[in-house]
Amino acid sequence: MNVELTELTRRFGHTQAVAGVTLEAGPGVFGLLGPNGAGKTSLLRMMATALPPTSGTLRLLGRDPGGYGPRREIRRRLGYLPQNLGYYPGFTVADFVEYFALLKDMPPRRVARAVATAIEHVGLGDKARSKLRTLSGGMLRRAGIAQAIVNEPELLLLDEPTAGLDPEQRVAFRALLREFGQRSTVIVSTHLVEDVAAACTEVTLMDTGRLVFHGTPDELIARGEGSGAAGDAPLERGYSAVLAAARSGVAARS
Amino acid sequence: MTAAGVHQAASGAGSAPAARPGPAWLRLAWLYLVSRRAPTALVLLAGCGALLWAALHLHWTVAGGPAAQMLFPLVTEAGAAAVIAATTYGPFGEPERATGRRLPYLRLGVTVGLTAAAIGTLAIGSTGGYLPGGLAAMARNVAGITGVGLLCAVVLGGMLAWTGPIAYWVLAEGALANGLTTPWVWPARPPLDRGGAICACLVFVTGLVLITVRGVHESVRDTTT
Amino acid sequence: MTAATDAPVRRPLAPAGGAVPLTAARLLRLELRHNAMPWLLPLIAALFWFDSYRPSTSMPPYWVLRTFWNMGQGATIIDFAPFVAGAAAWVGSRDGRRGTADLVTAAARPRWAVQLAAWAATAIWAVGGYLAFVGVLFAVYAHQGVRGEPPWWWVAVGAAAVLAFSAAGFAVGALYPSRFAAPLAAFGAVFAMLMSSRIGFSHTSGWAQILPTNSNGNFQPDSGMLYPWLPDLPIARIMFLAGITVAALCLLGLPAAAGGPRLRRAAAVATVAGLAAAGAAAGLAGTARLGPHGLVIPALHDAASDRPIANVPDCEGSGFRVCLNPDYRPELTAVTAALAPVVREVAGLPGAPTRATQVAAAYSAGEGQGGQAMTISGRPPVLGMPLGALGIPGAFGWTDGEVAGQLRLLFVHAFVGAGTSIGTPAQQAVQAALLQGAGLPIARQPNLLASAGLWSLARTTGGPAPGPPPATGPVYAVARRLAAMSAGARHAWLAAHLAALRADHLTLAQLP
Repeated sequence: MNVELTELTRRFGHTQAVAGVTLEAGPGVFGLLGPNGAGKTSLLRMMATALPPTSGTLRLLGRDPGGYGPRREIRRRLGYLPQNLGYYPGFTVADFVEYFALLKDMPPRRVARAVATAIEHVGLGDKARSKLRTLSGGMLRRAGIAQAIVNEPELLLLDEPTAGLDPEQRVAFRALLREFGQRSTVIVSTHLVEDVAAACTEVTLMDTGRLVFHGTPDELIARGEGSGAAGDAPLERGYSAVLAAARSGVAARS
Repeated sequence: MTAAGVHQAASGAGSAPAARPGPAWLRLAWLYLVSRRAPTALVLLAGCGALLWAALHLHWTVAGGPAAQMLFPLVTEAGAAAVIAATTYGPFGEPERATGRRLPYLRLGVTVGLTAAAIGTLAIGSTGGYLPGGLAAMARNVAGITGVGLLCAVVLGGMLAWTGPIAYWVLAEGALANGLTTPWVWPARPPLDRGGAICACLVFVTGLVLITVRGVHESVRDTTT
Repeated sequence: MTAATDAPVRRPLAPAGGAVPLTAARLLRLELRHNAMPWLLPLIAALFWFDSYRPSTSMPPYWVLRTFWNMGQGATIIDFAPFVAGAAAWVGSRDGRRGTADLVTAAARPRWAVQLAAWAATAIWAVGGYLAFVGVLFAVYAHQGVRGEPPWWWVAVGAAAVLAFSAAGFAVGALYPSRFAAPLAAFGAVFAMLMSSRIGFSHTSGWAQILPTNSNGNFQPDSGMLYPWLPDLPIARIMFLAGITVAALCLLGLPAAAGGPRLRRAAAVATVAGLAAAGAAAGLAGTARLGPHGLVIPALHDAASDRPIANVPDCEGSGFRVCLNPDYRPELTAVTAALAPVVREVAGLPGAPTRATQVAAAYSAGEGQGGQAMTISGRPPVLGMPLGALGIPGAFGWTDGEVAGQLRLLFVHAFVGAGTSIGTPAQQAVQAALLQGAGLPIARQPNLLASAGLWSLARTTGGPAPGPPPATGPVYAVARRLAAMSAGARHAWLAAHLAALRADHLTLAQLP
């Protein structure tokens, strides 16, 4: 298993962003769905070792990121695209991807080719020498994806990766995810259920910091059939049905 | 992927917060001030005043005659101008620019208000001590150097506007040391000198008008300020 | 975007340790290409021209005078420091401002290492710019035929100061990534420089010598000409500034996010070491004592610095030869001409020098160089002239006439045996009469005495209050009587009474 979380919790002051999440993940593409404020980003940040958990255990790629040495090893094998991508406007696309390749301790002799491959993978080959400040929002997002995949990570964490991408690019991106999922663990946090339907083998639904569903996309669709839940697509209806059930169950208990 | 302990979520979001009391324009002005970090700027301006007080009461001077006595006060004046220039940076970018007609008034009001606050804090800091040139020269210097900072903000952006006041201070220091008396370096002119006052006012008003009408130069916004 | 049909071969991660220098070099290259510092160099260049170069051009062509303001009093550092500190703060606050902190933290390379790469790029541009500008300045001086040796040690102090300001500014920005970080760092640098100047002017000894714009003891009058530039104080200052640089940078290695425990421990040790080095340097500066050629720090002093620079003097004159250090060659003719009337006036008298030679000046920490008396010694007597301590035409407002008058006055002052004091009334009267004979009317002599600094001598020896009195009173009355005698009679009287005059055995009443 590349990801093993046991009762993982994260608090920000009085707010519990992640409340006792337990899950395991091996190779494949896993979707992380949930409404705004469900804790998806906090969970991803903990898996990216950018945020320490408040309690619980976390093992990534067979290592405990609590120790500096194992954490560094994890980061060499990690790819992370945050929801709000920061960047240096004066860098070119190639500079930006190279910068993070170097930060990930990639062997220098591999960097140039890896950067070129990553940039081609996201379809920015003709923009490699363009400064980031000149790119559209979608292109910036793709540059962000490129830096995440440049080191061929074993654990790839993507938060809203398709924001700003046009439909054609989204289709290609899903194919890229499936390709990476053959050998790596890819966790995609997204609001777009069609991304989950097209690329993910399993999906997890979070709400108020807790896991309220896990299973295959088909199982999620099944939860929505006949429930009368809102949604234009089967997966959306399943999503709404699960959320409604989770919230009414909590309301009943309280 | 396996998950254990699937929980059911709590009920939905709570009710919307109650509307805040007070006139809307006051609320807008306050939000604008906070977005420009004006409270922090006021603290820094007070710091400039404190520094001036220390310089005058502890007799911090550099040897070299009357001209050299102005160097410490001039640092506080230029520093205050740099703080005011730094507040011109806005974190919102295009969404803010695409709003109605209130933004120029906000820019004008905050800039003039902070300039007045800078002059006020420095005036307080100079009480009980000998301020070379007096309050008139200090006000002239603050306004003029603030104008330099505003012009830099229009050209370079709010985050780099500090380069103008610093460069102007170095220029003034050189002019004082070498006896240059061009009115464009007004700190080197006598306190009630008309030429120096005109030049300082001209620079301030030009910077103020440009900031009010055009705002600062924006290429890429910082995510935090 | 594309998806390859074949899954690419997974290459194992190579051990990172062996490739660390290459990765660091490539990171540095990236940072150098995108650094903010180069954009400020044109502005600094303009200020450098205005503040460091232009004022120096009015000085006579001697390295010690041309570089007194820009190197000695730190004008060049003032031109650079605020912008370097501000730009470094801008670069240091980059991750906070751009929202890339998470991305950088989640990477394998320690955050501190990433920060050091960004700082190093800023420092390279800043120090490179400083050295380039100073290099151009010195090249212009060399082309203008400036004499003596350049103050290389003080160039190094300036470079160390630029480095220290970049480190301090970077630390401010990294720790406080706000819109106010850069202006705070920039004006903090200005304030630090002003305090350095202020303390420097009021402290002529002790730890304050360590401050980079403290000019006391820096520029000895004969530095780079008769004697080498003393490296003691520059070494201490470089040590101080290097300590600050190390401490500021290693401070960033202390937070938990900076790296692993070993790295952070090393950062803590280095921070303490940096502070200790700075403190030790200040302590060393506190032991500095003013030697004849500048500030000497015993623990750092090399005796070789006390040896004069070997040279073959340039000489002029057939009867009375005047010999100067070859760097003073342009002054030789004027000095010879200035001394000639006095030579004629005292020729043949006991103790009259047969030639004049330049001797080293002793640095005075007090205001002005007044009191650098000439000496007459040896057999046959030789006039020793500490020209480095005297006015030079063009320096600090000295005119040709004033310089010539000063030389004549000090020659006569030594001849009558007044030494380093203002002289007895009898000596003063004889001095005034001889000067009149040498072409300096008595009425003008009080101003000349003041400009030559003989009044400051009087201060140190407990004499009368400074300020030139009018040419009246009993001394000048006797002087006028003596000057009114025929040359032959005066000559004969002096021949008979000079020994007593020099031994302070003559009173005013005993003069004719």
